[in-house]
Formats: sequence, structure tokens, C-alpha cells
Amino acid sequence: MADVKTDPIERPEFERPSVGKANTADVARPLSTLEKVANIDPVRKFTVLLTAIVAWELYTRVAKVPPLIFPTFSDTIVALWKGFTEYGLASQIWASVGILLAGYVIGLAIGAALSFIAVSSRFGSDILGTLTSMLNPLPAVALLPLAMIWFGLGAKSLIFVLLHSIVWPVALNTHTGFMSVAEPLRMVGRNYGLRNIRYVVKLLVPAAFPSILAGMKLGWAFAWRTLIAAELVFGAASEGGGLGWFIFASRNEMDIPGAFAGLLTVILIGFFVENVIFRNIEQGTLVRWGMQSS
Amino acid sequence: MSATPASVRAEPVERPEFERTPLDARKIGQIERPLSVVERMWNVQVVRNFAVLLMFVVLWEAYTQIANVKPLLFPSFSDTCIALYKAFADQKLMAKIWFTLQSLLIGYAVGLVAAAVLVSLASIWRVWADILMTATAMFNPLPSIALLPLAMLWFGLGTASLVFILIHAVLWAVALNTFVGFQGVSHTQRMVGQNYGLRGVMFAVKILIPAALATVLSGMKIGWAFAWRTLIGAELIFGATSRGGGLGWHIFENAEQLRTSQVFAGLLMIILIGVIVEYVIFRNIELRTVRRWGMQR
Repeated sequence: MADVKTDPIERPEFERPSVGKANTADVARPLSTLEKVANIDPVRKFTVLLTAIVAWELYTRVAKVPPLIFPTFSDTIVALWKGFTEYGLASQIWASVGILLAGYVIGLAIGAALSFIAVSSRFGSDILGTLTSMLNPLPAVALLPLAMIWFGLGAKSLIFVLLHSIVWPVALNTHTGFMSVAEPLRMVGRNYGLRNIRYVVKLLVPAAFPSILAGMKLGWAFAWRTLIAAELVFGAASEGGGLGWFIFASRNEMDIPGAFAGLLTVILIGFFVENVIFRNIEQGTLVRWGMQSS
Repeated sequence: MSATPASVRAEPVERPEFERTPLDARKIGQIERPLSVVERMWNVQVVRNFAVLLMFVVLWEAYTQIANVKPLLFPSFSDTCIALYKAFADQKLMAKIWFTLQSLLIGYAVGLVAAAVLVSLASIWRVWADILMTATAMFNPLPSIALLPLAMLWFGLGTASLVFILIHAVLWAVALNTFVGFQGVSHTQRMVGQNYGLRGVMFAVKILIPAALATVLSGMKIGWAFAWRTLIGAELIFGATSRGGGLGWHIFENAEQLRTSQVFAGLLMIILIGVIVEYVIFRNIELRTVRRWGMQR
């Protein structure tokens, strides 16, 4: 087909009528104060939040929604205050967060150990690959009934399911991160004579840090969801503790504002971990090292 | 290392000269040899993975048989297989799986559509972008299972509550990833699209989605993972508070009656479905799109 020449299409000629004198009045003008304020990101987001809250309060008040179905914002805040002062919400939060922290730390350690074994030999890598591909899609909370048979009702079962929800995403992401470290970087490490643990700590971990951090974030997200679900099941199966149980118990006593207060606390803790703790880690490492923009 | 001023020149270190005597080439031995059949087999990834799997199954069976572990605590592999067969034959496991998958599919599909609508609005108007970002920052860290007690109050016990929390599980993860992906599409590619005169939906379908597909897909995968975990958890709670259906309920019911081998059978089915979705469906989508287009290794 290459030697067939197509004739150029001839388009008819045409002439544009004069568009008149150019009007260059408002090419650039200083923004008004209001516009400048509206260009600040936090201001806009805060406004959205405020609007949502006002709409919530107005809707529940004007439409006279029964508080048993959907309480007003002010009721929720009052319930939150009461939760802290009367129902020991702070100790429930501590029960949840304490177990979460214990599970998270142990889970990270196991995940790190697994990926270290996997990176040191091909067979280890196969074992980890098979294990993670089998166990990663298994929701940790499905193991809870078994954990309750094995370890009884209590913190041990919770930590067991938390470990399951953290270890696999962390190990999987760390391992894929290690595997995709560029060959030149590896050679630099070998040139410096780094071996074994020093090779992993000084070269592989920083080079694969975006992937590791993603794994840690995913592990946190799964753990947080698993913990709340586990506490709900515990709450259903027996008397437990923790935030999930607080929500479940409030709802069972038809204290819906209390349940909303519990949800608000869950949102606040989750928001804090994702947008303060992890964001700061990102800023201090990935952004500073130029691996990720902003 | 001490900081030396630029004007001071360090003398080069003189190393003594030396000469290597040539090695006897015969001592080196085999430099290259054809691999044996076993070695070649062992180099196939699938064979090794299968071997590892087989090893685990054998270890499991041997451990439970030799150590005489009580089947109430940890049933053997053969017991689990028999239980799986029985579950299909007697306990209507197929219907339970179908029940679970049905709610999952409905929730996932509606969640994806809702995410698409939100993201389109957010790409057109800045106010919607702000609303989307604020909402995802608030609701993404909220485990959707925590909404289940309220959903049961609003929608009653049944598929409606399940679908509601599934939508919540899928929507924010997908919307966040898609929007961030869209924002990361390079200006050059956008301008190419504008040059072609693409606008609105066509612009999104032909330029934004292909360019951001890696992020969109990872959002869809995370959304699936959250939905799957939420659904099983929800069915467990349903099982605890009232009669439900589905795989989670199968596990809960059998654990309550201490039929541990049935619990293992249920877990095996959950693993199987998860593996199929992640390693057959999503892997194939990735192979055909982002990997083929060279966006991902």
C-alpha cells in the first residue's frame, strides 16, 4: 500500500470577515479578597464540611426526622460528650487502639521477616508468593470464629485476626517493591560491598519505600476495618470492649445518637492516622527524597 | 573524610605494582552445561508454586494425622475436603455462594457507577472536587462495617443493608483513586485530546481513563478487597444477630456448632473465590490493558 499516492484534498478558499477591534479590557485583573480566600484549599474544604453539617442539622430539624432513625448533629455532639464523661468512651477507644497498635507492630515485624526470607532465596520467594496469593484474599474476619475456638474470647483472638490482616498486604507489597528495585541501584549496593541485612536496610528498603509505605497503609486500612468488624461480632457473640462494641451496644439500646458519636470517633481516628501520621511519614521520606510529588 | 580546601591538592596514592600468574584453565571445570530436565522443570514458576502448595497440603495432613490434633480444633486436609463435598451435597453451599456473590456484584456495580458520577462531577466543577475530596477524607477511613448496625436499622435485615454498606466500601476507594489518577494525567495528553476536539464524556473515555487506568484499576482492586472483607464480616454479624444466608453465615453457623471441618471448607471456598477474582479476573484485565500498554511491569 505504501506506493499508492493519494491526491491532496482541495479545500475551497474562504475569507474571514473582519472581527473588529480587539477588546483587551480584562486580560488580567487582581483577584478580589473573596476570590483569593476561595482559592485556599483548606478554606474551601472547611466550608464544604461546615455546609454539610448545617445541612444535616437543618434537614433533621425541619423534616422532623425521628431521632431514632437519624439524630441531629447537636444530639450527636451531646452524645459524644456524654460518651466521654459517662460511658467511658475514652477507655473503649484505648481498648481498640491498644490492641490495634500491638497487632500492627507484631504484624509489621512478621511481614518484614517474611520479605527478608523471600528476598534471600528463590524458594523463599516462591513460598511467600504462594502464601500471600492464597491468604491475602481471605478476609481476616472470616478467621474470627476459628480464632475464638482456638484462643477463646479476648484480646488474643483479636490480635490473631489483626495479624492476618496486616502481614499479607505488608509482605506482598514489600516483596514486589524489593523485586522491582532497579538493577543499577542493586549494583551500586554491591559495589559498596553491602551484604545480607545491611544490603536490605541500606539499599532495598529506601529504594522500595513507596511500595512498602503503600503496603503499610493498606495493612492499616485492613486492620482498622477488621478490628471494628471483630468488635462488632464480639459484641454480638458476647460482651466485649472497644469502639465497635460501643457502636453495637448503643444501637442495641436504641441510643442512636450514641451510635453516631461512635461513628464520629471512628472517622476522627481514621482521619488522624491517614492524614496526619501517614501524611507526615510521606512528607518526611518520599516527598523529601523526590519519589513522590507533594 | 576531612573537608579540604579546594586549593590543596592531594597527592595520588601510589600502589605497588604486581603481576598475576595465569590460572590453569583445566582447573576451572564446567563453565556452561545444559540444564537437566529436573532443573528446567524447577525453573518454571507455575511448577514451583504448585510444589509449594502441595508441600503445604502434605505438611498439614501429616501434622494433623501424626500429632493427633483434635478435629474440633484443627481438622485434617482430607476431613476438610470431605466436609467441602458434604457442604455442596447437603448444606446447599452453592446457594450460599450465589447469595454472597449476588449482593457483592450488585453492591460493587452500584458503587462503581456512583464513583463514576462523583468523579465526573468533580472533574467538571471545582466545588464538586472539594466536596469529593472532603467526603473521601472523611468516609474512606470509616470502616463500612461500622455502618452495619445503622443500616440494619434503616433498611432492615436483608440484602438492602448489605448493598448499602458494600456501596460505602467501594465508592470512596474507587472515587479517590480515580480522581487522583485523572488529576495526574499529563498536560500533553490532555492537549492531544483537546486537539482531537474531544469533549465531556468522550474526553474522559478516550483520554482520561486510558491514561489513568493504572490508578483506576488499583482503586477498583482496593474497592473489591474492601467489599469482599466487608461482606464476609457483615454476614458473620448477620449470622450472630439473626438468620442470614451466604458464606460468612455458613462459617459462623458451623463454628457455633463446633463443626470445624465445615468452617475450614467455608474458608477454602472464600480463598478460592478471592484467588479467582484477584488472579484470574483482575490479572487478565491488567495483562490486556496496563501491562500490554507498557504502563506497569
